[in-house]
Amino acid sequence: MAGVMRFLTRTAGGQDGRRIGVTDVLAYGYLILGVLLILVPVSWTFLSSVKPREAIEAFDTRLLPLDQIEAEVDGRGLRPLYAWDDPRTEGQPVVKVGPTRALTDVARIDRPEEVLQAPRGELVALEEVRIATENYLDPILQRGGQRNFAFFRYLGNTVFVTVVATLITLLINSMAAFALSKYEFRGRMTFTLLIVATLLIPSTIILVSLFFVVWSMGIFGSLWGVIIPAAATPTGVFLLRQYMLTIPDELLEAARMDAASEWKIYWRIVLPLSLPALSVLAILSVIWRWNDFLWPLIVLISDPTRHTLQIGLTAFSGEFSSSTHYILAMTVVSLIPVTLVFVYLQRFITTGIATTGLK
Amino acid sequence: MTPALILFYVVAALWLGGGTLWLLSHRRYRITQAPQFAMDLLGFPVEIAQAVFGRGGVPYAFLLPNMLIFGLFTFVPVILNFYVSMTGGPALNVTQRPFVGFENYRVLFDCASILQPQTCSNAGFTFWTSMFNTLWFVLFQVPVLVAVAMVTALVLNRAIAGRGFWRAMFFYPVMLSPVVIANIWKWILHRKGVLSASLEDGAASVATFAGVTGFSIMACVVLAILLLIAAERTLRAGAAPSVVWAALFGAPFVAVIAWADPVGLAQGMASGTGLWLGLALALGLLGLVIRDHRLVRPVLVALCLLAVGLLLTIQFDAVFDFSGFRAVNWLVTPATGWPFFWIVFVFCWSHMGFYMLILLAGLQAIPRDIYEAAEMDGTRPVRVFFRITLPLVMPTLTVVIVLAMIRSFQVFDEVYLLTGGGPGRETFMIVQNIFEEAFSGTNPRYGIAAAGSVLMAIVIAAFTAVQLFATRRRSGI
Repeated sequence: MAGVMRFLTRTAGGQDGRRIGVTDVLAYGYLILGVLLILVPVSWTFLSSVKPREAIEAFDTRLLPLDQIEAEVDGRGLRPLYAWDDPRTEGQPVVKVGPTRALTDVARIDRPEEVLQAPRGELVALEEVRIATENYLDPILQRGGQRNFAFFRYLGNTVFVTVVATLITLLINSMAAFALSKYEFRGRMTFTLLIVATLLIPSTIILVSLFFVVWSMGIFGSLWGVIIPAAATPTGVFLLRQYMLTIPDELLEAARMDAASEWKIYWRIVLPLSLPALSVLAILSVIWRWNDFLWPLIVLISDPTRHTLQIGLTAFSGEFSSSTHYILAMTVVSLIPVTLVFVYLQRFITTGIATTGLK
Repeated sequence: MTPALILFYVVAALWLGGGTLWLLSHRRYRITQAPQFAMDLLGFPVEIAQAVFGRGGVPYAFLLPNMLIFGLFTFVPVILNFYVSMTGGPALNVTQRPFVGFENYRVLFDCASILQPQTCSNAGFTFWTSMFNTLWFVLFQVPVLVAVAMVTALVLNRAIAGRGFWRAMFFYPVMLSPVVIANIWKWILHRKGVLSASLEDGAASVATFAGVTGFSIMACVVLAILLLIAAERTLRAGAAPSVVWAALFGAPFVAVIAWADPVGLAQGMASGTGLWLGLALALGLLGLVIRDHRLVRPVLVALCLLAVGLLLTIQFDAVFDFSGFRAVNWLVTPATGWPFFWIVFVFCWSHMGFYMLILLAGLQAIPRDIYEAAEMDGTRPVRVFFRITLPLVMPTLTVVIVLAMIRSFQVFDEVYLLTGGGPGRETFMIVQNIFEEAFSGTNPRYGIAAAGSVLMAIVIAAFTAVQLFATRRRSGI
């Protein structure tokens, strides 16, 4: 028994057999509370997104997606079923055959012509658990009159922006980082300071004039207007530069002896060796682009065919606030890729941000 | 044909055509080396720079694309912003915009007093309203954000099992897009949403429970026992008073004083001072405990007696009678402060993990042997925190505060999507003002928006400078 208690109350790193004190209890309590605060809203959104439309609109706060059972009744069509604890029903479900009043007219489904009077309070809705896949499939497959959320178009735009922007970011940032880390040249300090300066300029401050620049270049309203302005990131340059500084110069010298051109040194030697840093930047870039909001909103909002997932979702939520069940489902869809990336690569991401300390 | 497109075609023709010719004339490729040829073609400008200028020209070629984009999309806009702020009209072509000097700034400052936005011109009203909202937001947000991040980082820096898991969980919201975050919280905070429903259910069941006979006496006994245990633990014989137990004593103590309202009891009418009195007493006690003052024991015993005495005067069934409780419409009800509260909460929820991560890295960089030395000397944990942890983590903390401040000033996404600046203009922030002046509506006023962003830049720069100045000695930068 004592052994069990010691096992249950031992702490990490406590070789001296330190027991859990009140501080540990508080610490774990705090952590559990914090994680619940983060997970419960997300899980609740997920659980809500598989509920049928009626449950969403009635703000059903039960955990399971419950839907009222419906059945075909002779001469009355598809009607919702109720249970009524009364000897006359003989355990059969009933349907309402008149307006809901204090005494409502109901009928057994096997004898629809025989009308009974049931007190409203005694009628209990018959429910079954049903995953409302239509919340997801209607907008995605453009079914059920859902033509306002062009899921595949938005997804395609988002994937295009994310992939192209990430590739450009990786290429030009690693080139700049290579120049700043492996060459001695006039103006190296100036260029480094220029990049630091861009770090200190909040992007929202230059919003209006950036719009003028992008407009006068003719890429306003196109996906390139979202991709190019943010392709060069100071964060990326610093992250890669710090990493490339650790690559020994002898490797480069040896390659120069073999008459490799500088470009070849860059992409045959330095790039493969910087793969860990490149993958951190790639993940960060994918997340930034996937979640980007304000600038795409300005550039792309006027043309529905160029909406990204986030902008499409915003426009959809704004215009069709009655379709909460679709909005929740599409929110979950847009959350899934990021969550998957995070689950598999969280160690990469957290160490990457902790070491660069920048976002 | 847009200028960008023409430029693009010219560059592409030179790059692909010229590059292919040059590469094929200088090197030999086998068919299987096609990928290699493609990469060489991609780096053709660098190759040509090396061929023409030698190795000295190579770094400039490598830097060129990055600098081109930084220059065009960051440095040019910074300069252009000043110019646009001095032009008027809706023209999109910068060269066709009429120069109006400081007219836009004059409009923004066209107020009897900028401290009272309602005395301003229309543009000035929205601008200064959003400016003061943003300042209030920053004032609340930065301390909350940094404090929560610091506490979380400190907890994670302890010998905690599964640190990687906790760290990842706290970081997860940072990865979510603002649209997702806003949709999640809108759904939770809806008037009939899960939060309101659970609060009303909870209040109803507490009220039912409080109505049970004997509840008052039971609550009295339970609270008294809790207070006595915490007090006893605080003063463990032979050891210095425990700060954690003192805090655990303080929480119910504050509640008891707030409910009992001793001042009101003496006057015979409710005074509303109970909470503040309780907080003052509890914080005073905590201060004594932290300093290991010799008065800790008598003060704690006195507070304990006071609390237990006051317990007998509290009508617990009345205190816990929440049956009249109705949840408000969290994001919509005006003049309650709730929309603002939830904005601060959601922002903290979604950004805390990032700052926590930086602080945790800063904490883990503190050498372990300093802590071991402190432990050898029998230094008390509170002292270790204030004398070792805090000074050594100060540079990181300064960076975090500055980053959090700049980020909070720029708040837009979450607020715009959650409340849209409402109710009224209670959560109308400055970036939303710039966005709406310039990009939404049929009559864009780019000049006013640019002038607003110049003023915003000045405010951010001033705040950052003050912050860095205030912490310069402690942070060592």
